[in-house]
Amino acid sequence: MTPYSGLLFFYLLALLLLPAVALGLLGKPLKIYGLIFSVLMLVLVFGEGGQLPTLTAFYLWEAALFLAYRRWRKKLPLWLMVPLASLPLVLVKAGEVWPVFALFRLLGISYMTFRAVEALINLHDGAIKNLSLFQWSYFLLFFPSASSGPIDRCQRFLSDLERRLTPQEYIGLLRQGIWKLIGGAFSAIVPGGIIWQYWLAPLPESGFLPTLSYLYGYTLFLFFNFAGSSSMAIGTGYLLGIRVPENFSQPFLSADMKELWARWHISLSTWLRDYVYTRFVMDSLKKKRFENQRTASYLGYILTMMTMGIWHGLSPHYLLYGAYHSALMCLNEALDLHWKPFKRWKKQGFGQAACVFVTFHLFAFGLLIFSGRGW
Amino acid sequence: MEQKIAEIIAEICGAGAEEIEPELQLFEEGLLDSFAAIQLVLALEAAFGVSLDMAGLPRERIATPAAIAELIRERRE
Repeated sequence: MTPYSGLLFFYLLALLLLPAVALGLLGKPLKIYGLIFSVLMLVLVFGEGGQLPTLTAFYLWEAALFLAYRRWRKKLPLWLMVPLASLPLVLVKAGEVWPVFALFRLLGISYMTFRAVEALINLHDGAIKNLSLFQWSYFLLFFPSASSGPIDRCQRFLSDLERRLTPQEYIGLLRQGIWKLIGGAFSAIVPGGIIWQYWLAPLPESGFLPTLSYLYGYTLFLFFNFAGSSSMAIGTGYLLGIRVPENFSQPFLSADMKELWARWHISLSTWLRDYVYTRFVMDSLKKKRFENQRTASYLGYILTMMTMGIWHGLSPHYLLYGAYHSALMCLNEALDLHWKPFKRWKKQGFGQAACVFVTFHLFAFGLLIFSGRGW
Repeated sequence: MEQKIAEIIAEICGAGAEEIEPELQLFEEGLLDSFAAIQLVLALEAAFGVSLDMAGLPRERIATPAAIAELIRERRE
């Protein structure tokens, strides 16, 4: 069973959400049932795919690391804990490329690993003082966004988790959640499905014109499909009383690549911005690592975008995708700094339209690389 | 404090301190990007002797000079 796809999934989702809706309408706490819901959905989805033992092992591994770090925070270095928490993901990604590492597969491991790592970083920073095993487990296993995001933040998630909603507040969330579920399902099934079935699937596997057609079709398909699944995840989260963050904001209206990444897969780009770019640049500036401060920014973009590429997988096309966006972000930064008309052009008129056009095509070409399609 | 914050922002953004109104949207107006935001936070930490925890700081906390002033006051307590 694939999350947010097929009648059986939606039937089970609706059935298991009913108690949450009843609790919400009565003004009762949702968090205990929310965890039960997540576990049940994970058992149903992962059980059918035969991944339940792997999910259990993953949970136990991450839980052991979390409990150990919570207990011995001052003795255990973060530089050791983060790679250990990322190890299952690294093995899965390595297994996709080198069969010798193909010990297991696990749907949603990329997203759940982000959650596990963020909880450790938050504990290290003291941003979260007390995180119970219940809270951590719910955050890690939160089903609605486990398979394809959005990536929620630990502190934000906890604030929703511990907030008691009044029936009126819940009705507001319920209304928005249902609309997001319906809108997301429509986006993924109707335009997404039509583009896939009637545009992409019949295309020949190589050739210039079919590849050019694929570039446009795949970009639109990915947008409708991914934005749709994100919207369904957000809607499901709302019904459980969790305001899962938005993931898309009219990305194809972006006038440069920096703006595009602030509008496309927002939760991933802001996670990487905060935990990779900002940390690297801030540390570099504090330690005066580079004579020119902007060097830290360029290297920060390369580090961030390569991390993004590797997070998708270790196949050459994902690495190339990361390298491509590293180059684009550095070029964007250089234009911002050294070519004054660029900032002016981006803001209005024909210049802005031209920038939007170019940005869309640069991004679409990146998605063509991402797709791994042969040229 | 507000005057000092405006001076710091102006220096980082290359604007005049008198242009920095309390409710000016620093990100939306294109005055701050990710790099300039880091420079701003480091400068604020140095000027006011507070720790702002940039990685865990939501952008809205430094989105306007008024929000920054509120954040500094909060961290000083």
